[in-house]
Amino acid sequence: MTYSKDLITRLEEKAKILRLDTIEMIMKAGGGWLGGSFSQADIITVLIFQHMKHDPKNPKWKDKDRLIVSKAHCCETVYAALGEAGYFSKKEFSLYGKLGAVLQAHTDQRTTPGIEYSGGSLGQGLSFALGEAWNARIGAPKDESGRAIPRYRVFCILGDGECNEGQVWEAVMAASHYKVDNLIAIVDHNKFQSSGTVEERINLVPLAEKWRTFGWDVTEIDGHNYQEILSTLERADKTPGKPHTIIAHTIKGKGVPAFEHKNLHFCKLTDDMYANAMKALK
Amino acid sequence: MKRTYVNETLGDMKTMYEAYNEAMLELVKQNSDIVLVYSDYAKGSAGEFLQKEYPDRIYDVGIAEANLITSAAGLAAAGKIPFAVGHSMFAVGRAYNEIRQNVAYDNFNVKIVLCNSGMLWGFLGGSHQIIEEIAALRVVPNMILVSPADPVETKKATKAAVEHLGPVAIRLSATAVPTIYKDSEPFELGKAVTVIDGEDTTIIATGIMLEESLKAAETLAKEGINVRLIDMHTIKPIDKEAVIQAAKETGAIVTVEDSSIIGGLGGAVAEIIVESALVPMLRVGIKDQFGQTATPEELKEVYEISANHIVKTVREVISRKK
Repeated sequence: MTYSKDLITRLEEKAKILRLDTIEMIMKAGGGWLGGSFSQADIITVLIFQHMKHDPKNPKWKDKDRLIVSKAHCCETVYAALGEAGYFSKKEFSLYGKLGAVLQAHTDQRTTPGIEYSGGSLGQGLSFALGEAWNARIGAPKDESGRAIPRYRVFCILGDGECNEGQVWEAVMAASHYKVDNLIAIVDHNKFQSSGTVEERINLVPLAEKWRTFGWDVTEIDGHNYQEILSTLERADKTPGKPHTIIAHTIKGKGVPAFEHKNLHFCKLTDDMYANAMKALK
Repeated sequence: MKRTYVNETLGDMKTMYEAYNEAMLELVKQNSDIVLVYSDYAKGSAGEFLQKEYPDRIYDVGIAEANLITSAAGLAAAGKIPFAVGHSMFAVGRAYNEIRQNVAYDNFNVKIVLCNSGMLWGFLGGSHQIIEEIAALRVVPNMILVSPADPVETKKATKAAVEHLGPVAIRLSATAVPTIYKDSEPFELGKAVTVIDGEDTTIIATGIMLEESLKAAETLAKEGINVRLIDMHTIKPIDKEAVIQAAKETGAIVTVEDSSIIGGLGGAVAEIIVESALVPMLRVGIKDQFGQTATPEELKEVYEISANHIVKTVREVISRKK
């Protein structure tokens, strides 16, 4: 399926807002996870503003789709999306990371409307997403073949470095075993982790093959191509029987050429960096 | 020696896990929010019997304790009441961060069933005998920790866990224990049960060690020493008032547990004694050692937590009273 130019343009505009708001957030906070927030920004945009069934006025809606941010340090673009969607006032952006803030340094279910999962300890989010996905099937109506028709979907964003953690694979095995096809894992494969490239740290190749062999339905996409993001999410909806992985090949820092392909993991923004960002995004 | 709520003759032997499963068979039927999650454990459990009737409310994640705890957290976040079952050593030992970060941090309504708790899990040996779990769990905010002493109390604790909104860890021993309590035992999380009312000293015991403490109390009574015996089933939140009252009214305390004396029940009671009711106190428990393969009876002797050792310790603490 091809998606309309209007839709793509609308989403690209949203993504720009997310990246700009992320820059402001990180500038005010004195630091943030810039690279990883930018690499996932286009995926977050599609999920929040097009694909997921949710209601900012009703964050406790029982049957809404869930977004589990397992790579919880890259919270800034998620916060930007939730603020833009109306979960809370954008005034909160300038208070990110401050004492008593609604927006904590890692996604925190206790303080932030729209955040389901208190992350920060990498490798756990997929298990959490699995529990949520199971719940969607409990007592759900069944189709002719006796399969539960889940009441909602669960989207889980993981880092590629995060796939080092053993618990990820515990959840991968269990989700496959239980055929949890309303669980969609999205790996933000930006090729870096904190201490260097994923290749030099712990080789992940072949990553897609690993997920596939564990029994998931896997697609690899360009994580900045909206046609691909949209169509692969739609395909997941139409492919029952297995949980779904989207390996999104992304660029750490994508959106500001001066930031791209560098390992801007946690960083402060210099005046030069800020100026570069404004030039690229405004 | 006045014994309250306790059978004159100790009743049938049963494991706490059997009692827990009997309670669970009823609870799953009564409360449609309860979901059972196991870690390679469902065999012989309520889950096995209920599998056909409630297939979408029973899961087994295999030998994967981290996934056990965190998937239960996801279920709780969605509004279910999950009971996550595993061997205490591995659920606490391997999935400690998951308990802390995915359950307690958010105060999610997960019930963690810690099977084969404590030192007295005989044959399987030191790798399986957890001595750390009381210390490790009571230092986690929001975590309720309950350690029932017999099958009757286990069922009451399980039902109380369902009623409580928030994380509860239920510590169950491996070996069969006699039925100590009558059904009339009053049970409330956080409220200790005074099993024997005495004035000479107080024994505060938890879990499987209540039985051993009862034996010690009987021996001491024959020597004319009338101990107060308190069943501290809830280790967190501990019944601070019961401890202070016992210290003030009996003048000395002995704690008894089958876990480490460092940071366990003994540590929790000592914290209260030092701040609020300074009296002589001694701890009976595992003296900072790992376990080994042996029978529970042998382990009680080797690690000095048998009735004899409790008796000796009571005599010693009385000698320290002014």
